[in-house]
Amino acid sequence: MSDDDHLLIGRALGQTWRRENKTESYVVVPPALIITDSDGGTWTFGTEFNTYGEINVLRNDVDTGEFAQRIEYRGGVVKLFGRGGWRSFSRNRRHFI
Amino acid sequence: MAGGYSLTSGSVTLANQAVTLTFVNPAAAPNVDLEFRRFWVGQSNNMAPVNLRVQINTQVTAFPTLVSATPTKLFGSDAASVITGNTTGAAGTSGINASAEGAGAKTVIWADVFGSSNGWLLIPTPEETIEVSAGAAHGLGFHLPAAPGTLTAWAFGCVWLER
Repeated sequence: MSDDDHLLIGRALGQTWRRENKTESYVVVPPALIITDSDGGTWTFGTEFNTYGEINVLRNDVDTGEFAQRIEYRGGVVKLFGRGGWRSFSRNRRHFI
Repeated sequence: MAGGYSLTSGSVTLANQAVTLTFVNPAAAPNVDLEFRRFWVGQSNNMAPVNLRVQINTQVTAFPTLVSATPTKLFGSDAASVITGNTTGAAGTSGINASAEGAGAKTVIWADVFGSSNGWLLIPTPEETIEVSAGAAHGLGFHLPAAPGTLTAWAFGCVWLER
């Protein structure tokens, strides 16, 4: 398959995921399975739990080192909610604030 | 036994009909019970967005006709699952992507709707986990009750504990 330049391409569940558009605001994982950000980064939960019942957060099938109860896309920003409240993925795509 | 197991597949082409994505039938008693902890489904290849129904149901014989799929253990040190891959959906077996649904009555125990762009993930709270006991007359199906339109590139699966 050849991909158009404008497609957002990420990875999740061991597969390549293609999307025409980024995810709409206020979509939450779960019950959604994935969130696609404006770079094509595909956000999902992994299979590891911490002692607080939070799940590890993956971006493009790579562990971010973060645990959360839910992942939300709001205003173009990926936000994690967990026992410490809300954290936002930084604009430089490097860490959570 | 007593570990976590996954029945999953990616990039599957579904039949153009209502389709059971995964079907797991517990082994005959006495044996371990299956405690289902996670279900997910999504389409990876940029289909036109549509809303789709999804169900988790029990089904008694006659079971679906499936593609044989063997559970994978989540932890390398665990023993293999008591469930083995088979096409028949019989006791102690599992399969995916049904080509025929079987005449057995389905009882819906969880129904929801999802957008194809976002997929669907269910992680029940501890009080909501779905358990199927060894020796039960039914298996547990993860089911799309209507054909999804675009049939290619589906990823789906479920995770359970055996205890």
